Amino acid sequence: MTLAYVPGDSLAHRLDPRTKLLVQIGFAAAAYAHATPRGLAALTALAGGCLWAADGDIADLWAYRVAFPVLFLAPLVAGATLGSPWFRAARAAETALASYRVLLLLVVAAAYVRSTPVRDSRAALQRTVPGRAGTFLGAGVALVFRFLPLLRRDLLTAREAVRARGGDRLPVRERIRLVAVAGTNRAFGRADRLGTALAARCFAWNPTLPRLSFEPADYPALALGVGLLAVAAAAVI
Amino acid sequence: MSTRTESVDLVGDEAATNLARAALFAALVGAFAYVTFPNPVSPVSVTLQVLGVFLAGVYLGPAWGPAALLLYLAAGALGAPVFEGGSAGVGALLGESAGYLWSYPLAAGVVGAVVHRGTALRDPSAAGLGTLVAAMVLGTVVIYALGVAGLALVLSLGPVEAVAVGAVAFLPAEALKIAAAVGIVRSDAITAA
Amino acid sequence: MIALESLTCRYEGRNREEGDENGTDENGVDDVGTVAVDDVTLTVPDGEFLVVAGANGSGKTTLVRTFNGLVRPDTGTVSVNGTPVDEDLVAARAAIGMVFQEPRDQLVSATVGGDVAFGPENLGCSRAEIDRRVSAALDAVNMVGREDDRIAALSGGERERVAIAGALAMEPDHLVCDEPFAGLDDPARESVLARLRVLHREGTGVVVVTHDLRDVVGLADRVVGLADGRVVVDGSPGATLPDLAALGVRIPETCDTDAGGEAGRSTDP
Repeated sequence: MTLAYVPGDSLAHRLDPRTKLLVQIGFAAAAYAHATPRGLAALTALAGGCLWAADGDIADLWAYRVAFPVLFLAPLVAGATLGSPWFRAARAAETALASYRVLLLLVVAAAYVRSTPVRDSRAALQRTVPGRAGTFLGAGVALVFRFLPLLRRDLLTAREAVRARGGDRLPVRERIRLVAVAGTNRAFGRADRLGTALAARCFAWNPTLPRLSFEPADYPALALGVGLLAVAAAAVI
Repeated sequence: MSTRTESVDLVGDEAATNLARAALFAALVGAFAYVTFPNPVSPVSVTLQVLGVFLAGVYLGPAWGPAALLLYLAAGALGAPVFEGGSAGVGALLGESAGYLWSYPLAAGVVGAVVHRGTALRDPSAAGLGTLVAAMVLGTVVIYALGVAGLALVLSLGPVEAVAVGAVAFLPAEALKIAAAVGIVRSDAITAA
Repeated sequence: MIALESLTCRYEGRNREEGDENGTDENGVDDVGTVAVDDVTLTVPDGEFLVVAGANGSGKTTLVRTFNGLVRPDTGTVSVNGTPVDEDLVAARAAIGMVFQEPRDQLVSATVGGDVAFGPENLGCSRAEIDRRVSAALDAVNMVGREDDRIAALSGGERERVAIAGALAMEPDHLVCDEPFAGLDDPARESVLARLRVLHREGTGVVVVTHDLRDVVGLADRVVGLADGRVVVDGSPGATLPDLAALGVRIPETCDTDAGGEAGRSTDP
């Protein structure tokens, strides 16, 4: 159901995570610089290609369903106007293009998420962001991935406990409070045990960096990323 | 062995625990995205991420609170399903929700700075009711100001249109979260802070 | 070798947090209270299998956490292999692998291999050396070739063994396990015990902290019993068992001074 890394051997799976991040940034820049029907048509083909290269399909976009109402509603709100002519098609079209552009960004992001394990993302962070910031981000992101399922279960347990004790009759504010207190206390307990364990294992600012290297397949993809950035820059200048 | 131990730059026990807490709070904000409650005054149901942002500011303070939310954004961008509806990816940080998401570290910093009156942490349950409410109202203002500005920018909407799309249906629930957050802090029920 | 000299730890000040943390443990098998460690002098030779036994709140967790500087004593000194812990914290932590309760909360990575590599990465080992250590550590806990397994999919006993492998990858002289059997079912407990037995036989010092001697008494060279932060019993398992029962420590039911190991394992914990 949720969008997540799926092990595989697609082209995107074999690319270096830094390459894939550069392509995403290039894509976003190009999409913001060229929100014209023609520009977006070209980018649609590219976004589809990215998702295809990651062995993904349109069903992966279901993960973004909460964004759809806003993306759909925005052009209608933009077009609506108080008084004659009540609806301005040109305004609505402009926002519709912008909404569609966001959808394309989500498609490309889905391709990255599908094809990139945490280990690679962490390695990309630690090899790109220098010094302590890189260690903080790399270790921190890995821990978020690791502990998210545990905390989700903690909250579910808390919620069921509240319900089992007749919590459904309480006001919403009180139910939220009970669930949040239980979740936060569990998170603190886990964090303090984790902190001690990190210290015992010599948690250092300067660990050996993870393995990561560009392969031949990365170079055309890197060129694509740079090309997209250049296309975006051309529109601005 | 001895040459190697000199080159190891230890994080330090206190910082290691702070980093662990920041990461766990980031995961908690993500886990809160999955918890929905019916909204008594609006058809849009309530998720608790913003409550997590408040609590990060209150319990981790104006430095580690924003750090936790930065980890949240980074992990989400790199594929952890922590954004609304369990979504993930760089797209969320560049799309229609960009303003809201980028406001979280700032809002946690604002809440933390008001509650702790500076960078040194103090017991949040000792902060007065007025301080807590003010901190969270300010945090909410930051989140919605940036969120609506992001919407206007990303979707080429006018200010009124952006407010209509991005704030009207959601704002009433924020009062609920502020009330819940104040209740949590004042009841002194969080043991590990 | 670990040497403690007139060690005293109080919960006030910087050590208070340890007490709080222990007190909130949901297993209720940890140390709480105001007295932590009271004037303890103790030497743990290399290769010794030592059991530190005591009831909840006896100070045993705080005591072992001074071995690698996680808890700093108020008075007294701790040295590891002749060097005071304060002078080289990294050396002390590399020489003493420590595994705590709730292994679920100590594993840092999504995969087994990534987790076991964490310690040697921090020590700055080369990638080739890290790979060697990871496979050796997994071998030592009977999990050869499981590098790519997902942590989330492991059983309780496997998690405990991965946590032990993570400590072993730093190639410590002593392995310290705090209540390693808490929450494990019988087969999982057996698997962890079997690995500790092999490690000890191959020369690693093992320190097990527990309130329940039934599992480990057959392996121990020596048992130290704590009460209110003081060492009140110290000797061979056979000689100490009768005194340990009075400290609130669970001992084998057939209180055989020969300490036949599995003798008392018939009852469920």
